[in-house]
Order: sequence, then C-alpha cells, then structure tokens
Amino acid sequence: MRQSQDSPRSSPSHVGIIVRLAFRNLRRQLRRSILTAMAMIVGGWLLIFSFSLGDGVHETWIDSGIRTSGGHVTVEQPEFQLSRKIEDRLSTNIRQRVEQALESPVIKPHVVAVSSRLTVTGLASSSAGSRPARIIAVDPIEEAVFGTIDEQVIDGRYLEPGDELAGYVGRGLIDALDLRLGSRFVVQAQDTEQEIAGQLLRVVGIFETGLSELDQSVIHIPLVTGGAWLGSGRDVTNVGVVLTDSEIVPVVTAYLERDLDTSIATGDAKVMDWQESNPPLSAAIAIDNFGNYLVYGILFIIIAFGIVNTVLMSVLHRRREFGVLQALGLTPGETGAIVLVEGLSLTAISGCLGVGLGLLTTWYFFGDGLDLSSLFPDDNMEFSGVVIDPYVYPLFRGTRLAQVFAFILFIGAVASIYPAVRAATINTVEAMKFDR
Amino acid sequence: MTNIDLPAVRTNRVWKVFEQEAEEVTAVRDVSLTIARGEFTALAGPSGSGKTTLLNVIGGLTRATRGQVDVAGQDISEMTNQELARLRLEQVGFVFQAYNLLPVLTALENAEFPMLLQGVDAEERRARVQELFQRTGMDGLEDRRPGKLSGGQQQRVAVVRAVASKPALVLADEPTANLDSASSEALLDMMAELNRDLGVTFVFATHDEHVMERSRRLVRMVDGGIASDEIQE
Repeated sequence: MRQSQDSPRSSPSHVGIIVRLAFRNLRRQLRRSILTAMAMIVGGWLLIFSFSLGDGVHETWIDSGIRTSGGHVTVEQPEFQLSRKIEDRLSTNIRQRVEQALESPVIKPHVVAVSSRLTVTGLASSSAGSRPARIIAVDPIEEAVFGTIDEQVIDGRYLEPGDELAGYVGRGLIDALDLRLGSRFVVQAQDTEQEIAGQLLRVVGIFETGLSELDQSVIHIPLVTGGAWLGSGRDVTNVGVVLTDSEIVPVVTAYLERDLDTSIATGDAKVMDWQESNPPLSAAIAIDNFGNYLVYGILFIIIAFGIVNTVLMSVLHRRREFGVLQALGLTPGETGAIVLVEGLSLTAISGCLGVGLGLLTTWYFFGDGLDLSSLFPDDNMEFSGVVIDPYVYPLFRGTRLAQVFAFILFIGAVASIYPAVRAATINTVEAMKFDR
Repeated sequence: MTNIDLPAVRTNRVWKVFEQEAEEVTAVRDVSLTIARGEFTALAGPSGSGKTTLLNVIGGLTRATRGQVDVAGQDISEMTNQELARLRLEQVGFVFQAYNLLPVLTALENAEFPMLLQGVDAEERRARVQELFQRTGMDGLEDRRPGKLSGGQQQRVAVVRAVASKPALVLADEPTANLDSASSEALLDMMAELNRDLGVTFVFATHDEHVMERSRRLVRMVDGGIASDEIQE
C-alpha cells in the first residue's frame, strides 16, 4: 500500500455513519437511554389512553346531545333557532332538496339517520291544569332511528306509522297534568295563520329520559298530525342528520351548504353543525379539551426537560469524542446531527412503545368500558341535553395517533436541538483537551 | 507541477495569537516552514513553545491569526469550516497523545472510520486495515473495543487510522507521551517503517528526546518561533 495522492473523491453521504454512531451511543449509555425512554413511554401511553378515553367520552356526549336535539348537522331557517316560531320554517321544497342531497353517494355512507321535524312551543292542558310544552311532530320510523327517546318508554309504546291523534309524553308532564296511558289531553300552539289552534291527543306512551328538561316538556306527535293541526302541510322546522362519526361533520356541512347555496343566499335555509346548534355542549367539550391539553402540555414540558438534561449531559461528557469526530473530518453540522438523531431516535422508539402500550390499554377497555359508576350519584348526571354515562368507552382515531406521534417527535426534536447545537459549536481543539 | 510534487506543508509567516482575559498571548510567531512529502519531522520544544498550536494550525483544527498555510498545495487560510473538515478528511491524519479512539467502535471500525467517511468501499477498507494491522502486530485484536486494548495497542490503532486513508501528511501530537518506553520504541519503529515503506509524511510535536533522535528532521521551537531547523543523519 504505497502512499499516494488520490484524485479528488466526490463527497459521500455521511447519513449512514451518523445514524450508526447515534445508535451505538444510545446502546453505550443503555441505562441512561432506558430511563429517558421510560419517561417518553409513560408519556406516550398516557396521551393515547387519555385521548382515547376523552374522545370516547366526548363522542358519547355528542351522540347523546345531538340525538335529543337537532343531530350532528341540522338544516333550518336562520331565524328559527332564536324565534322557535312556525313561520320560520323550511318549505317543503327545501326539505325535499335536503333529503335528496343526503341520498348522494358521497354523503349517504356517513348518514345514520335523518329526521324531519316540526317543532313548536305551546301549551298542554288536561282537566288538572296546563303546562308549557315543546311539541315535536315527527315521522315515527325516522325518529326511532334518529333519537333515543323512543327507547326511554316506561309505559305504553312509541309512536307508530298510522297513528294520528297520538301523543308520546314525558313522565314529568304526565305527572303535572295528572295523565295516564290512554288519557286524552289538548295541545295548543300558534298555527301558520298566526292563530291559536288546538289539537286533541291521546297518550299512547310515557317516557323518562332522566333529562328533566325533556321529561317535563316534550311531547312527540305524528308529523302528519302536526302538519294538519298547524296548517303547515309537509313543511318542517328543521331536518336533522345523525352521522357515523362527529369527525365527518365538516364534510357533510360543506356538501349541504354547496347544495343549498341559493336557499342559503336568500335566507331561507341555514346549515348548522352541532357546535352551532348546541353551543353549551360545544363549550363543555372545548373546556374539557383545554384542561386536558394544558395538563398534557405541562407533562410533556417536564418530559422535554428530562430529555434535554439527559442528552445535554451526554453531549457534555462526550466533548472529546465530538472534537475527535470533527478532527477526523465530520463537519460541525454532522456532529450536531448525531445528537439530533440520538434524541429523535430515542423519542421515536420510546414514543412507539408508549403509543403501543396506550393502544393495548385502550383495546382492553373497548368492550366493557371503564366503569365509573361508583363515582356517580344515584340520579342521572346531565348537562345541555346530555345524560352522562357512568361507563366510559374509549374511542380510537387514526388522526389522534398521527397527532400524538407527531407531538412526541416534535418534543424529541425540540429537546434535542439545544444539545445538538452545543455539539456542533464545540471548539475542536479545546474539546480534545477535555478529560471527563 | 502536480499535487504529488507539491510539499505536504508550507507555512508562510504564520502567527497565532490567543486572547486570554483581554490579554494577547502569541503562541506561534512568524513561522515559515516547508515540509516535503515523505519527511519524518519533529517539532520539538518545551511546553508553551507553540509546537502543538502550530500542528493544530497546519491540521486546520484552528485558524492562523496571520500568514498563509498550504496543505498539499491548498491554501487553507480562507477555507470555510466545511472545507476544512473536507481537507482534514482527505489530506490529514491525526495521532493524538490520548489516542482518541471512538469508544463505541471496535479497533477495526476505528481504523476504518476516516475511509468510511471518504466513501471508500468496504472491501478496500478492510484490505487496507488488515494489511496495516498485520504490519503493526494488531491482527487478532480487530474486534476489541478501545477499553479492552492497552495504551500501546490503542496508539497503534490510532496510527493505522491516521495512515490507512492515505493522507498527504500525518500530524502526531506527543504520540509517545502516555506510553512506557518499550511501547514507545515499538510505536516509533512502526511509524518509521510506514514512513520508509509507504512514504507516509509524519510531523510530530514532541518533547520526548527519543522521538527527536529518531526523526530525520528536527525543528526546535522556542516562544512560538523556530529556533533551529536541522536535518539529522
């Protein structure tokens, strides 16, 4: 092997060497690496599991809330949300266009139920007295799929096709009006001619949801009866849509808005998602999420400082090595890259393990849920039309997995940047004098 | 004149001044020196004479304050950090007093490391290192990590690492300082053999009398400047 002056070589990529050195260093500092990884594993596990539980709880709230109100997406006249008057209703033409749009192949796979309702506020009267009531005229078959109120029957039955003068009444209202199954009572409300119109009904079923607001005021009647009574024909006050998942809401909302653009422009229709139609529920979820994000943020800042400390200590102990690497021909940037790869690899691997552990834990609770009933009072807990289920069922979303993984990598990258810069900016000569 | 005809090192009126707590300390003073290819040269002098700093300036590890430094015909004075890194990789081999092997790599991997950075293919890397390991009595120790090698063995690996990538020159800073006399003698024999047989250019910074005796050119430094420069028989 005679010493010779070779012709200049092209610059080879040092990526493989950088990665190899980074992994060797992680293995060399095994105990330190494991301890740091443990923090990230616990963090990843906690994030996935608590996000799954949180998303599951929120989806249950949303499902409960939207089924007792207007659905994930609702189409109604812009003024109706505030006025609740029958004159602010959707025409039969708009109702049919909404129903046709929901039959589109793009949307239909995501649609669980559609219910066209005629909702008015009025007075329910019996020989025992009168009470304010929210009278909702529904198609019995559509509504049975849409809502859950038909399942809350405690006496009699829910509305059926062919029913005409039937009323399905909340337990609180039944008690207040001293009614029982088969009793007759009268409902009165303003009709389309702005006259007070009365309708005789017979109690065919009594329900109890646990939501006092519903139990003390809601009466379901057949849509045909409502149309004839109030003179609205086939018009409705809103068309509600229940979807397979709240994640798909923006897609459906946008599709309906495109389809109804003319009616929206003329002020005859408005498409609202559940957040807009049920602001208290939306706010409750936003507040809950904010609290969660705050806690996770603090947790991960603590973890990030742990990683910074570990990686930085490792850099400070290896100053001589970094000096040697630069003396042998690595650039300062490549020296820093070794540290960055170490930090990122450590967080990526431990993040994967944490996420895997979180998924396993989540999977364990998929079937039976997490029983929190011992923390609940005997009475139902409710808010904004939502009955809180004491069983928490986790919900796993792919987007959440991507978010968590990206977050973990971000933390790893941020925590490794400073130590990497320190490694890249060492004074080579001074570093090689360093003796730990 | 081809690259091979150019001297390994040429310095022209090189100064290196450090600032220490608002005071200027001159480590290298107006040094002009030419080292031809294939030389076996010692820079000798007491501590603080500037020999290590001059070695670092020649190796591109630190920049001269004034003057010009050519390594293998390339003026390194105005090079960027990346260009200096490339120069060290392609043209300079280093042997340090404290061996400075990478602890995460085996002896073989350490010796191959500069060639790995250069992009030399695995077969050629292995062949070059195996040949040098056999020459230096290191065969059989290829898979040992530095922690499992004696000081003398580690320094042999360091010399193989410095030589195997075929640099224009090898800069050795007090290479025998941490070795016992037998190991020191063996190492000098090895480097002299590599110089004689392979034409490797060696420049030592040393205050070891034995190294000075073995070198063919002795440059004595005092207070940062060259006090004498003589060829030895």
